[in-house]
Amino acid sequence: MHNRKRKTVKKTVSFSDDQNLTNANLNNHRKGHIDDDTPPVYVRKSWTLIPFHLLALLYWFLKYTDFNLLALLYIMIPTQVIYLIFRFNKNTIYGKKRLRLNWLLVFITLGACLLLSIPCLAIIVLFGAPFVELLKESWLLALHCCFLTYPAVYDVFNCNFKVGYFKKYFISVVIGCWISCFVIPLDWDRDWQAWPVPLIVGAYLGSFIGFSIGGYI
Amino acid sequence: MNPTVSDERDRAERIRLSIMGPQTRSSRMSYRISRFKSTHTLYILLLASLAVLQFISIAFFAKGFLLTRTVLDNVAELDPQLPFEAKYDKMVLLIVDALRFDFVIPVDENHAKYNPNYHNNLKVLYETAHNSTDSVLLKFLADPPTTTLQRLKGLTTGSLPTFIDAGSNFNGDVIDEDNLIKQLYLHNKKIFFAGDDTWDALFNPYLAPESVPYESLNVWDLDTVDNGVISYLEEYYFNEEKRSEYDILIGHMLGVDHVGHKYGPNHFTMKEKQLQVDELLRKIISTADDNTLYVVMGDHGMDHTGNHGGDSQDELESVLWLYAKNANWSKDYDSYNTTDLGTSYKQMNQIDLVPTLSLLLGIPIPFNNLGWPLDEIANDPEELTLYHNICRNQLEKYLSVSNIIGATARRDALISVENHPEFQQMFLEICKDLWARFDFTSICVGIALMAFSLILLLIIIKLIPSIVVGQMVGDFVGCVVVISAISNVSFQGIYQVLHQPAFLDNSLWCSAFATSVGIILGVFIPIFDRYSVQWLCLRLVEELSDYWSRIATLFITLHALLFTSNSFTIWEDRIVAFLLTTFGMLTLYEFAFLPQRHSTAAILSGAGEKQGTLSGKSVGESNSDSLPLGRFARILGGYHSIVLVLCTRLSSMITICREEQGPYCTPTFTISNNYSYYTMLGCLFLIPAIPSCIKGYYNVCSSYQAAAPIWIGLILKGSLFASFTYWSLLTIENKFEDLAWDLTIWKYTISRIIVGISLIACNIGWMKGPLCVKLNIHNTDLKSQQATILGYSNVYGSQYFLLVINFLMAIMLFNKPLGQLSIFLMCNQLLSIIEICDLLKVKESLIGPVALGLLAYQQFFSTGHQATIPSVQWDMGFILTEKIIFPWTHLGIVLNTFGPFILVALSVALLTLWKQPPSVLQPQTILARIVSNSGTLLIYNSVLCLSSFVWVTHFRRHLMVWKIFCPRFLFASLCLIVSQLVVTFITIGFASSRLIRQISQLFSK
Repeated sequence: MHNRKRKTVKKTVSFSDDQNLTNANLNNHRKGHIDDDTPPVYVRKSWTLIPFHLLALLYWFLKYTDFNLLALLYIMIPTQVIYLIFRFNKNTIYGKKRLRLNWLLVFITLGACLLLSIPCLAIIVLFGAPFVELLKESWLLALHCCFLTYPAVYDVFNCNFKVGYFKKYFISVVIGCWISCFVIPLDWDRDWQAWPVPLIVGAYLGSFIGFSIGGYI
Repeated sequence: MNPTVSDERDRAERIRLSIMGPQTRSSRMSYRISRFKSTHTLYILLLASLAVLQFISIAFFAKGFLLTRTVLDNVAELDPQLPFEAKYDKMVLLIVDALRFDFVIPVDENHAKYNPNYHNNLKVLYETAHNSTDSVLLKFLADPPTTTLQRLKGLTTGSLPTFIDAGSNFNGDVIDEDNLIKQLYLHNKKIFFAGDDTWDALFNPYLAPESVPYESLNVWDLDTVDNGVISYLEEYYFNEEKRSEYDILIGHMLGVDHVGHKYGPNHFTMKEKQLQVDELLRKIISTADDNTLYVVMGDHGMDHTGNHGGDSQDELESVLWLYAKNANWSKDYDSYNTTDLGTSYKQMNQIDLVPTLSLLLGIPIPFNNLGWPLDEIANDPEELTLYHNICRNQLEKYLSVSNIIGATARRDALISVENHPEFQQMFLEICKDLWARFDFTSICVGIALMAFSLILLLIIIKLIPSIVVGQMVGDFVGCVVVISAISNVSFQGIYQVLHQPAFLDNSLWCSAFATSVGIILGVFIPIFDRYSVQWLCLRLVEELSDYWSRIATLFITLHALLFTSNSFTIWEDRIVAFLLTTFGMLTLYEFAFLPQRHSTAAILSGAGEKQGTLSGKSVGESNSDSLPLGRFARILGGYHSIVLVLCTRLSSMITICREEQGPYCTPTFTISNNYSYYTMLGCLFLIPAIPSCIKGYYNVCSSYQAAAPIWIGLILKGSLFASFTYWSLLTIENKFEDLAWDLTIWKYTISRIIVGISLIACNIGWMKGPLCVKLNIHNTDLKSQQATILGYSNVYGSQYFLLVINFLMAIMLFNKPLGQLSIFLMCNQLLSIIEICDLLKVKESLIGPVALGLLAYQQFFSTGHQATIPSVQWDMGFILTEKIIFPWTHLGIVLNTFGPFILVALSVALLTLWKQPPSVLQPQTILARIVSNSGTLLIYNSVLCLSSFVWVTHFRRHLMVWKIFCPRFLFASLCLIVSQLVVTFITIGFASSRLIRQISQLFSK
C-alpha cells in the first residue's frame, strides 16, 4: 500500500498488492532499466527449487516411522533450513540482487514459525478439529504446516512483512490440507486415516507443489 | 392585458398545479402499484407451478422407490376347529448370514463357475440330506431387498418386506406385527439367542435375558460374532446340563457375510469361514437330541462382489436345511438336482418358513403370513390336507381383515380358486405386485422431471436477466396454464381410451404426469421463443465466470457429491460445518488481504448502486481510490467473518451422533445434557442475549427505532422468557420424579400463548407495516431545523427481519434447550452472512443463498437432528397438545425438524433487502432480485434432491440403502418441499410484496 525505498536497491520498489500502482511505478523507471517489468521481489523459475526432500520425508514417514509426527518434525526442520540456505534464498531476487543470508533472521524465523503455529492451531480447530482430545496431534499438525512454509516466512521477514508475493506458498499448504480432508470420513479403516496423518500428507504435497511451481505463478 | 389579471391567472395555474400535481403523482403511483401487484401475482404463479412440478417429480420417485404396505396389529390364535399336534418341542435354529445356495451343494470341478474358495467346502448339509429321510435341503428364495433387517422381518412374519411399513412406528425397532418369535414367546417357549444384534433390536421383549447380541455393523470384523455364537453353543447346547434351560436356541453367524463385504467371495478367508461352519454343524448333528428340530438357513445370498441388498439371482438364492433325529420327511428325490450349481433344484420361498415352523412346533401361523407350508413336513396325505386347510384359513382371514385387494373382480377370482396351493400362489403374486417391486419407470420419470425442473429454475432464475423475467412472467404463466390444460385433456383422453401410458396407475397419476409435461413445455416455449440453447450456454459460462460464483458452485457440487458414498453421507454434519467454515475463512481472507479482483468486481457490480460506507463518509474519503472496501468496512467484514466461523464451530459441537458414526463421535445432545442446570443457565442467558445481538446488527444502520424496540426488546424478550419458563418446567419434571404439583396445565398454557403470539398475533401485527425509522429533528441554529430519518438506509431489511423474528420465536419454543443455544448462534451466523454479502457486494451472486443453504443444513444437524428416521424428535409434537391433533402436532414436528430451513428460506430475501435504501431501485427490480436470490436457494436444494434421487437409485443394492441413502433422500425431498412452500408463499407471496408496496409508497419521489 505504501511505497518504500530501500537503500541497498537504487530504484523505487513497491510491495503493494495493487498491480496498477506497481506497474505505474515501474513504468516511470522503465527508461533506465530494461528488464524492470519483473516484480520487485520474486522467486526465480528454476528446477532447483523443487523441494524433493519433502517427498523423501513423506515417503519415510509413511513407510517406516509408524506415523511418528514428532520424528518427522525433528528431521523436517533442519532440512527446511538447509533448503532455505542453499535453494530458496539463492533463487529469491530482491530488486535485482540476491541478498546474503541473514543468519540472525534464520533463527528468528524458527521462533516465529513456532509462534505462528498457535494461530494456525486455532484455525485448524475452527475448521472442526477436536479441541480437547487430540490437541497435541493438532498442534503437531500446525507446527508441520508452519515449518513447511518456513522459507516463505523467512522471506516475508526479509522484505519487511509484505506478504503479498509470498501468499501463494501459504495458500498452497492450506489448500493441500483442505483437499486432503476428504479421506478422513471414508470408512476404509486404514491406520493412515488417523488424525492428522492425511492432513500432514496433504500439507507436504501442497507445499511440494507450491514451492515447485511458485516461481511460475 | 392587465398585468394583475395575468398574475392572478398565473397564481391560479400554480395553485391548480400544486393541487393536481400530487394527484397525478398519486395516480401514477397507484398505476405503478397495480402493475407491481399483477407482476407479483404472476411471479407467485410461476414459482408455484415450478413447485408443483417438483412435487410431482418427488411423488413419482417416491412411488417408484418406496415400497409400502399396511401392517396389521392382529395376533393369530389357534383355531379350535382344526387341531393339530406339535411334532417337536424344541428347536435349534442357526442362521448363516449370506449363505448362498451353491456354497452348500457339490459343484463339479470342471464347471465354468467352479471356485475352490467357496465351493465344496461346506458339505455337511448335502451329505446328510442326500439319500436320507431325516433331513431335507432346499433352495431358499428371498424377496428383495436382500438386507438382513428386511429378511429377518420376512422370515419371522411371513410377509413381504417394505421400507415403510405404514402403520407401525417409525422407530423401526421392535416388530409390532405378529411374528413367529412372538408366537413362540406367547406359547411359553423360552428363546435363547446369540449373534447379530439386529435380532435384539427386533425381538428384544421376546428373547430370554441370557441372550447375547453382538455388534453387527462392523463388516471388517470377521470373527467376533461367530466365535461368540460358537462359545454360546458350547455353553448351552453342547453342555448337557444346560440343554433343558431353553426351548428355542437361535444363533446368527455373520462371518460369511462379512468376508463377502470385506474381500468378496473369492478369497481364502471364505474357505476358512465355511469350513468353520461345516465343523460346527457336524458337531451339532453328532450330538443331536430326539424331539428337537434343527434348522440351518441363510437369510440371503451374495453377488459376485460379495455385496447384497438387490434382487439378482445370486443375492436371492439361499439355503434351508431341516433336520431331526429319526425324522421321516416325505421327500421327492427327483427334484433335488444339483447339476449346474443347482439351477433346477427344488426351491421354496423364504416366507414359507413361517407356516412350516409354526406347524411343526404347534403354534398358530402368524397373522400377516403369506407363505405356504412345505410338502415335506407332512407324513401322510391327510396331514397335508389338514395343514393346507389351516393355512388357507389363515390366509383368508388375513385377506378379509386387511382388505388389501378391496372388493374387486380380482378378489372374487382369487376366492373362487378351489386348489389351496394355487390360491396361495395367486394371493402372493397379487401382494407382490402391490408391495415389493421397485417401479423403475416411475423412478426414471421422477428423476427426469426433477432434472427438468432444475434446468427450468436455472434458466429462469440465473440465466435470463431478472428484469427480462419480470416482463416475460406473464407469458410463462399463460403458456403454463394453457399447455397444462391441453396436455391434461390429451393425456387423459389417451389414458381413458387406450390405458396408455401403462405405468400410470390411475387417472390421478395421469393428470399429475400430464400437468408436469404441461408445465415443462409451458415454460420452455417462451424461453426458446426468445433465446437459443447456445445463448443460454454462453450465459451459464458467463454466470460462472466470477470468483464467488465459482466458490458457490464448488460448494453445491461438493455437497451434492456427498451422496456418492455412505461414509460422506454419514459424516454430512461435519462436512457441512467444514464448508461453512471455509466460506467464513474465505471471506475473512478477502477482508484481510483484499486481493486484486476487488477492483474489477466492484466496478462491475456496484456501478449502479450507491456505495454507502459504514463510517458515514463517502467512498473516496474513507479509503484510497484504488480499493473498493474502506478500512472500516474491512474491519467490520473481518469481524463478521470471525463471528460466523466461531459460531459455526461452537454450534457444531452440539451433535446427536448417528449410529454409524460409532466411536468417532460423542453425542452431546443427550437428555442429561439437555436438561442439565448449565444448559438451562445458558437458556436463561439467551433471554437478554438474542435481543441484544439482533439490536447490535440493527444499530449498524441505526435502524433500532420505532417498531424495533417493541418487537425485539419487548415481544421477543417476553417470548424467550416464556419459552424459558416452559423448558424450566419440563426440566423440573425431568429432574424430580415425584413432584407434588401437576405442571401440565401450565406447560400447555405457556406453549399455546407463545405460538399464538408469535405465529398469529405478530404476523398480523407485521402486516400492518411496522417501520423501523425515526424522524430525528434537531435545531441547526435558532430558526431552522434539520430533519434526519434514522434507519433510512436499512428500511427494508429492518422491517423484514421482524417477520423472521416472529418465526424465530416459535422455532425457539419447539427446540430443546441445546437446540435453542444453537439457534441463538444461528441468528448471529445468519445476520453475519448477510452483512458479509452486503460488504462484499455479492448480493446478486450465487454465494449468498448457497452460504445460507449451508447454514440451514449445519443448523439442522446442530439442533440435534440427523438424516435418519429415529433421530426425528417426535416428542416435540406434544408440546401444544396431549394427543395427536392434526395441525398442532405436525406443526411442532415441522418447526422442530425444519426450523433452520424455514428461517433461511425466509431470510434469503434479506440478501436483497438488507441495507437497501428506499427509492433507489424500482419495486419490480427489488422483487425480481428477491425472486432471483430465493430461486438460487431452491436451485441448491433441487440439486441436492436430484443428486440424492440418482444416488439412492444407484445404491439400491447397497447394504446400507435403507439405513443411510433412503432416509437421506426422504430428507432431501422434504427439505425441498419445505423450502419451496416457504419461499413461494411466505417470502415472496406474503412478505415481499406487502413490504415493497408500503415502502415504495412512503418513500417514492
